[in-house]
Amino acid sequence: MFQQTVDILVLGLLAATALAVVRMRTLIGAAMLMGIYSFLSASWMLILDAPDVAFTEAAVGAGVSTIFVLATLSITTIRAKRQTKFQFAPLAVVVLTGAVLIYGTLDMPHFGDPEAPVHRVGNRYIKRVPEEFKIPNAVTAVLGSYRGFDTFGETTVVLTAGLGVLCLLRKRREDEPKVVTE
Amino acid sequence: MSEALGLYNYWIVIFLMMTGLYLVISTGNLVRKVVGLNIFQASVLLLYVTMGRVDGATAPIFVEGRETYTDPLPSVLMLTAIVVGVATTAVALALTVRINEAYGTIEEDEINEQEHAQELAG
Amino acid sequence: MSEHLAVLPVLLPLLAAPICFLLRNRIAAMGTAIAVCWVTFVAGVVLLRTVVTTGAPAIYELGGWSADVGIVYHVDTLAAFVVVLVSSLGAVVLTFAPQSIAKEIPKEKHHFFAALYLLSMAGLLGIAVTGDLFNVFVFLEISSLSTYALISLGQDRRALTATFRYLILGTVGATFILIGTGLMYQMTGTLNMAEMAAHIRETEGVRTVLVAIAFLTAGIGLKMALFPLHAWLPNAYCYAPSSVTAFVAATSTKVSVYVLIRWIYTIFGTQGPGSMSGVVVDLVLPAMAISGMFIASTVAIFQTNVKRLLAFSSVAQIGYMALGVSLVSESGLTAGIAHLFNHALTKGGLFLAMGCIAYRIGSVQLADMRGLGRRMPVTMFLWVLGGLGLIGVPCTAGFVSKWYLVRAALEQDALYLAVIILLSSLLAVIYVWRVIETAYFQEPPEGKDEVTEAPLSLLIPTAVLIGASIYFGLFTEWSADVAGLAARELLGVVR
Repeated sequence: MFQQTVDILVLGLLAATALAVVRMRTLIGAAMLMGIYSFLSASWMLILDAPDVAFTEAAVGAGVSTIFVLATLSITTIRAKRQTKFQFAPLAVVVLTGAVLIYGTLDMPHFGDPEAPVHRVGNRYIKRVPEEFKIPNAVTAVLGSYRGFDTFGETTVVLTAGLGVLCLLRKRREDEPKVVTE
Repeated sequence: MSEALGLYNYWIVIFLMMTGLYLVISTGNLVRKVVGLNIFQASVLLLYVTMGRVDGATAPIFVEGRETYTDPLPSVLMLTAIVVGVATTAVALALTVRINEAYGTIEEDEINEQEHAQELAG
Repeated sequence: MSEHLAVLPVLLPLLAAPICFLLRNRIAAMGTAIAVCWVTFVAGVVLLRTVVTTGAPAIYELGGWSADVGIVYHVDTLAAFVVVLVSSLGAVVLTFAPQSIAKEIPKEKHHFFAALYLLSMAGLLGIAVTGDLFNVFVFLEISSLSTYALISLGQDRRALTATFRYLILGTVGATFILIGTGLMYQMTGTLNMAEMAAHIRETEGVRTVLVAIAFLTAGIGLKMALFPLHAWLPNAYCYAPSSVTAFVAATSTKVSVYVLIRWIYTIFGTQGPGSMSGVVVDLVLPAMAISGMFIASTVAIFQTNVKRLLAFSSVAQIGYMALGVSLVSESGLTAGIAHLFNHALTKGGLFLAMGCIAYRIGSVQLADMRGLGRRMPVTMFLWVLGGLGLIGVPCTAGFVSKWYLVRAALEQDALYLAVIILLSSLLAVIYVWRVIETAYFQEPPEGKDEVTEAPLSLLIPTAVLIGASIYFGLFTEWSADVAGLAARELLGVVR
């Protein structure tokens, strides 16, 4: 029961934060709320017994992303225009998409169900990791071995983004062809 | 009633995802779009992590005397997804900086006005 | 060596990318990248030959972990065909690039270009060969992020806003794919496509799987610019550097179509118990495909910028592929797969011709192309051949795939579909004719400097692609015939 109360409390806070981000008028405020949102979701992951994702989300999602946004604001502008008129179409799109998703949940196995089909491969890991590795943490073992190629791909994504950002922000020399602005 | 208790987690996660998506498609400010995209992606992490949960289990770190553990695979997948999300954010923000240099604004309607004028000028 | 063949086309460009960046010297970086691309192409051709001659898919267990716990590469005929498509187009376009980017991209960014180009190619190749659904997402992001950076290199500042729009829509699409992947994973407990396909039979009529299919289709529809989810495409193609436009137009959306085929035919199934993609195949895909064929072709007619005209034509051509895929028959699927390759050659060649024109006259506006037929005769002749391919005139590759498409429509007694295909081809005649008329029958603009033919280093790659599009219109052994083989494999017809 205690667990359920905490669960509902954190989820309520998450929903409130998400709504606050949408309603937030200043950009710095939105950036801070985004950080808070990531941090709250990290706490919820901890409640759900997924500490590895929780720590990464707290460090990378709440930390790095927020700093990126704040850094961008510091060299662009912190001024955001007021949305003048309410648009109906975006709301319709998300309500429809959300309704489709909720329809999809109706056949889902219930939250926490140990018999859910989703654990098929996960159970193989739980069985095999202690036999094949000396590492007690199953997440680390899977990340580094069975699905190591995804981790390699993830590193490549970081390399790609790094190259992309460097390429975008690199200042050009005066004698080079200029970006056309008129 | 049991239906609602077993699924309310998913429903709130769906609400969170859709809030993020709403911000992406409704706002005209480029930074707020990126913030919305972040919320959208961060909420998908919650969808996966929710799936991995097993009642009465502990985190998948093996200790003597425990039999049931949470599913490690959703955690593994989402570790990758977090990094992908941050990488996308970084590129989007770098683009925002360049757009601000080139147009002097990060508001979509003002950018569109300038582009329209550029179009007419040839 | 041969047992690593399946993984080679992905690893070569992936590992060469950081090397190209670290070389810093632009000539060394571009030279290395071109060499790696051609080696990748050779590896791809060997892979396709191996798969076709042995008649069995090449399977590679990454890290030595079998499919039940690890990630495997599963290269069947279709996957190998797409590997050859991406690596051949990638190699030819990159050979075109050095001279073209010298005029369009600042010199100190050339090593960035080389590295990002290789990463984009590696991402696309990784999507083609992988047998793991989550791995598709990871490599999709590698190719997307590098493509965004490449498009943003365009000279015009509108390249930046076009990239931003592409990034937002592309990421929304990728996140939809991630949600769909999650729901599929939730109901089957695996990410391996083959195992997923085996377990999906147990989930007949489960609403979660239906929603998963909807999200996967919407997500990949955004990525492949299926009408009306194409909003990002016209400006992205229009303002990207010439060689980037050619590469992206020829490969990126095609790989997304491949992913859709893979999901529909390998995972969801199209017939028998538990086949779940009924609504998508019967209703959604054909509706989007046909409206795209008409509306996008019509919009193309009214464009004044030829690159944007070709971009809208691409949206229409994606419609032909989607229509072929949705017919669920051997000739329909053959048409879809063959058109991937045939259109990649044709459109790649046309965008390279536009690169030649941009190199000489510094513009891709229709008005600036007046009288160009006399001033750049070779380039314009190649353009015309490419244009005929877009229409689908006999003896061009475009004809072969449309022929299969019409045949597939007639097989199902869908005469109206055949008429629609012919009518939309007429729209293509109009937009191609507009360019031909301007280039050959109008006087060149007064007071402009004399324009000469493009240099050979640009003309040869253009001629190679256009020439190939004619060659594969006449000899189909390695294009449409392989596509037919791939289609039979997917439909489970024993050869």
